[in-house]
Amino acid sequence: MWNEAAGTFVFYLIAFFSIFTALTVVYTRRILRAAIALACVLVCSAGFYVMLDFEFLAGVQVMVYVGGIVVLMLFAIMLTSSAELIVDRPSFQRRFVGVLISIGFFFVTTTAFWATDFPVAESTKDTLFTKVSIEGEKAEPLDDVVELGKKLLDYGPEGYVLPFEIISLLLLSVMIGGIIIARKPPQLENKE
Amino acid sequence: MNEGFILSNAWLIPAIPLISFFLVGMFIRPASKQAAGLVATSAVFLSAACAYMLAWEYYQAFAPEYQSIVPWSIEWLRYQEFLSVSVGVLVDPTSILLMVVVTTVSSLVHLYSIGYMHGEEGYGRYFTYLNLFTFSMLGLVVAPNIMQMFVCWELVGASSFLLIGYYYDKPSAVSASKKAFIVTRFADLGFLLGILILGYFGYHVYGVLSDSSTSVLAEMNQYSSTAIQPFDFKFLNHPAVIAQFADQGSLLGGISMLTLAMVLIFAGAAGKSAMFPLHIWLPDAMEGPTPVSALIHAATMVVAGVYLVARLFPVYAASGSALLIVAYIGAFTCLFAAVIGCTQDDIKRVLAFSTLSQLGYMMLSLGVATMAHPLGYTASLFHLFTHAFFKALLFLGAGSVIHAVHSNEIWDMGGLKRKMPVTHITFLIATIAIAGIPPFAGFFSKDEILAAALGNHHQIIFGIGLLVAGLTPFYMFRIYFVTFWGPHRTEGAEHAHESPPVMLLPLAILAVLAVIAGFVPMASFVHIGEPLGHHGINWAIAIPAILVALTGIGVAWFLYAGNQDRVSKLVQNLGVVYRVIKDKFYIDEVYLFITHNFIFKYISRPIAWFDRNVVDGSMNLTGWATRMSGWILSHMQTGQVQTYAAWYALSTIVVFGLLAVTLQ
Amino acid sequence: MVELLSNNPPGIWHWLILSTILFSIGLYGVLIRKSAVGVLMSAELMLNAAVLNFVVFNHFVKPFTIDGELMGIFIIAVAAAEAVVAMAIFVAIFKHKKSIDITHIETMKG
Repeated sequence: MWNEAAGTFVFYLIAFFSIFTALTVVYTRRILRAAIALACVLVCSAGFYVMLDFEFLAGVQVMVYVGGIVVLMLFAIMLTSSAELIVDRPSFQRRFVGVLISIGFFFVTTTAFWATDFPVAESTKDTLFTKVSIEGEKAEPLDDVVELGKKLLDYGPEGYVLPFEIISLLLLSVMIGGIIIARKPPQLENKE
Repeated sequence: MNEGFILSNAWLIPAIPLISFFLVGMFIRPASKQAAGLVATSAVFLSAACAYMLAWEYYQAFAPEYQSIVPWSIEWLRYQEFLSVSVGVLVDPTSILLMVVVTTVSSLVHLYSIGYMHGEEGYGRYFTYLNLFTFSMLGLVVAPNIMQMFVCWELVGASSFLLIGYYYDKPSAVSASKKAFIVTRFADLGFLLGILILGYFGYHVYGVLSDSSTSVLAEMNQYSSTAIQPFDFKFLNHPAVIAQFADQGSLLGGISMLTLAMVLIFAGAAGKSAMFPLHIWLPDAMEGPTPVSALIHAATMVVAGVYLVARLFPVYAASGSALLIVAYIGAFTCLFAAVIGCTQDDIKRVLAFSTLSQLGYMMLSLGVATMAHPLGYTASLFHLFTHAFFKALLFLGAGSVIHAVHSNEIWDMGGLKRKMPVTHITFLIATIAIAGIPPFAGFFSKDEILAAALGNHHQIIFGIGLLVAGLTPFYMFRIYFVTFWGPHRTEGAEHAHESPPVMLLPLAILAVLAVIAGFVPMASFVHIGEPLGHHGINWAIAIPAILVALTGIGVAWFLYAGNQDRVSKLVQNLGVVYRVIKDKFYIDEVYLFITHNFIFKYISRPIAWFDRNVVDGSMNLTGWATRMSGWILSHMQTGQVQTYAAWYALSTIVVFGLLAVTLQ
Repeated sequence: MVELLSNNPPGIWHWLILSTILFSIGLYGVLIRKSAVGVLMSAELMLNAAVLNFVVFNHFVKPFTIDGELMGIFIIAVAAAEAVVAMAIFVAIFKHKKSIDITHIETMKG
């Protein structure tokens, strides 16, 4: 019982914290502060993934997102530092429109979720932290990483080998593209 | 039926000038001027040869009962099952007559033009236009249905416009060409309305006939290469169809639809043939080169109206009042133009008014004919035939004189008798022919017209005809005496010399034709309705006519052959009357007054205002609205990604909102 | 309190609303931020919310599978790629215009 209560409590705690930091990301005038807040949101999300039993994803989140992307952003901010970057002050009109649209979006999405009857699996109802098999079978922890490796390289109907390869190609091209875009423009050599 | 080559390929006759028109206009003209003239001329000569062979084969194959046949036609427009328009060639005695006349005169005029137009600017262009005109006229003549006729009719008008405005750097030529085009076009409006009315009832009758009596249609389909259609002349002229026409409804005041249609069609014919209220364009059309006047405004185009009435003669005959209008308008024009002709000083203008007068003869002759007593029909086409030759000869002779003297005024000429002997002789022959002195061509046809008028008890028309038979020799010999007799009045006349042989040859040929054309037994070739018995010269009518003509010549000799004192005294005595006649009864001024004070003021200006403000305005409004909406929408294209994102998100919300509303 | 918490563990609703809130906040940021890096960060928030949704559905609707997790991994990879390219573009634009205020970038203006 305590266990469940703690779980629920932690959920609300992290949820409110992540909402707060997310708001900081969009509200703060200082872009550096926003980057730090983004890192906090991402770490909170990693916590959510752990709560939902996806530890490997949580790891990836922390490593790639927090360790990679946010650091990259910090670099970009440093590289392009200027007065405007440090202070970002949107006009009231922009904020008003933004609030209207995002609240509208929230309502629409919530209504859509409300109108949908999700086929929630029975067994997961109150077993947030323990994996229990359905109806009598013995609880068997699922080994994420093994399963992931198999799925990623499986070329059967359930497999993900094609997206996996495409992602790798995408990453390669992005790497090359990023270098080409951001490098110094080549000076025209004056050949006599 | 053993059809000859030309008979089954009659389309060659109009097609040769058309092909030549394209060849000369597009390829030969830029390359060589001389070649353009030669090719154009030889093409028309070839066409003329085909026309003669066609006439020969036709009269061999179909004597003595001359069927009208359609040896070649293709469907051109198809509206629905029983309503289509074909393009084809109709061969019957009337169209053969016209083909022969048109190709003969046209080829001689082409030949003459090689000499006359030598060294002119736009020599190749001139021959291109002449070929186009010849094609259009032949297309009109062979038209088996009223639609093809209308198309070629307009083509004739257009090419005549081009030819009258040939000297387009001369303002008077430009305005004359515009005048001719607008007046005839205005008349064609009536023609088109008439066609529509006739076509509507024709279609109706066609439906009735195809339901009830298919044998009639089958009979009409004989000698036709495509099925008979409501617009075909053969269909419209069939007695069974005309009987049905007569039963169609009538308008207010008891005018039957048939009469209305035929009067409207006659309006078109009157425009082309320059009948009285619409005659004003023809004298001005003399601004064109003289061979053009000979070809278009004497021998071919202006007879299109006569031909149209002759083509639809059975329908006209069914509506007696329409035919009566034709007769009286013809008679009035005949007299009216002859009176004006007596006072004009420009040689080509006199000839133009004489053309009007002779066309009036043809029209009145058609008007007095009936299906029971169809002498007038034959007489009209006979006069068309003879008139084409002597009038072309007169114009070409006048052209020869103008070419030598470089002036149109008869008072600038004089004494050309010895300077230009060949021109003098041929002109004299033509003058005698038009005057109606036997045995020259004009006598026979004019006699037949007068006989037809009296034979059908139209005494007034006969009287007018007889009077004009006296006026015609007067004004013709007036210009003859002034031009060729007496002293040389100017330098130009002094130094005049005979034209080159290429111009004299057509004159000689036409002079021969003007002499012998009258001996053609026209009554046995071209007739309609009841067959004509043997018709000799009616001396009871001919002798008074000859006497009247001789009187006219005598008066002309008395006034103009000697010194000019008698004329000036007479002119002084006549005073106002002379002025009025000389100014052509102020018809042109009346037209100007009406157009300026009524048409421009109450019709053109409001229409122009409507066009400028309402029509253009609505167009401008559309354009403005489009531009404004574009301008407004362009503000959505701020170029800022976030605006687009906002629109995107907003649209998503709206779409999902709508889905939520509708799916519930 | 403990009772209340233990009797109302977070169900699929709580998770979905949480992710929707995060997504809406990200959308708001995308719409209002003036600096390009700020926009990119807000976009990352939205992506993150999407990943959370995948994972939530995987957990609640199809437990004992890892398809949602795989999707999350793919999304993270794509986000990383996107961030790299975006940063490179920002740096290039900054070199060119000495600013990355996207309200000044309006060459697409109609």
